[in-house]
Amino acid sequence: MTSQWWSDDERLLSALGSALRAAHAVPGRFVEAGKAAYAWHNIDAELAALTYDSRREPPQDALTRAEPAPLRAMTFAASGLTIELHVSSEALVGQLVPEQPGQVELHQPDGLIRTADADEIGCFAFRPLPAGSFRLRCHTDSGRDVLTGWISL
Amino acid sequence: MRDDPVVVALVAGARDGSKAAWDELVERYAPLVYSICRRFRLSEADIDDVGQTVWLRLVERLSSLREPAALPGWLATTTRRECLAVLRATRQRELRESPVDSEISVEAAEIDRALLEDERDAVLRDAFAELSDRCRELLSYLLQDPPVTYAEIASRLGMPVGGVGPNRDRCLKRLRRCPSLAALIGSAADTVEGGEGHDKSVVER
Repeated sequence: MTSQWWSDDERLLSALGSALRAAHAVPGRFVEAGKAAYAWHNIDAELAALTYDSRREPPQDALTRAEPAPLRAMTFAASGLTIELHVSSEALVGQLVPEQPGQVELHQPDGLIRTADADEIGCFAFRPLPAGSFRLRCHTDSGRDVLTGWISL
Repeated sequence: MRDDPVVVALVAGARDGSKAAWDELVERYAPLVYSICRRFRLSEADIDDVGQTVWLRLVERLSSLREPAALPGWLATTTRRECLAVLRATRQRELRESPVDSEISVEAAEIDRALLEDERDAVLRDAFAELSDRCRELLSYLLQDPPVTYAEIASRLGMPVGGVGPNRDRCLKRLRRCPSLAALIGSAADTVEGGEGHDKSVVER
């Protein structure tokens, strides 16, 4: 058997040394960002599941449709509330179904939050498109609180 | 690696709302996530993105993590997958911009070997963190570059010079006995002894 990193004290000590040095190379902001992710623990919102994503299943009628197809379309569904999303080159537009007013928050991993109102028919828009990943949290006027999964465009 | 009580307790704490337990988990395993990202030669910005995704996944999974002690392995796998996703996206963009076939410059086999080292490092750091303050101090002196002499270590720790060697041996013995490290060494030794006929993985979780 050839000598392994654990087989004698010298090698074990040197393996430990390189492990500890690797830890010193980690930037502080990387660690802090990880700690901040805890803000998402036990969020008291209902999770909406991704039920449709055009990136996974391109629409069958894409070639015959008259209107320009969105770059991407997604549907998130919770019980009794669906969030339809369309991505164009300059905006993220969406609609709450059934149609109802409310407020939509766009959360980014660094803690940044943008908000948009959903109008009487549940439509909302975010301009410009968010860079990087994000998730939406919808508070309807009727008191629902629904959160989508993380989305990357 | 199934029953490292410290990791199990930290996961349980974080799940039950302890921000301090979560912070400690992140401090422990950020080096693992970070070094894996470096293996894939991601940019610093991409490394930050992957880190975010991995920690957010973990936050969501805290309550459903069935084997908390397998956390390092889960983190390594998740990080690796996210890194590959970033690389694929970058490659697609590059192909669109200049349709010359550009090769992904990282060798898969090389990466796999490196990831095992990263996991091993994480287990070694875990074991080290669970040593007594005195052992940690002693081993840190021994690892300093340039090296600290035994005489100096003895005077800093207030022990006879003749005690440094035996204490070093004792601390390393304790390090080996830490459950997660003992399990890793055990399974790695099986692999080495088993040779090619055996199908036992070094990363058995």
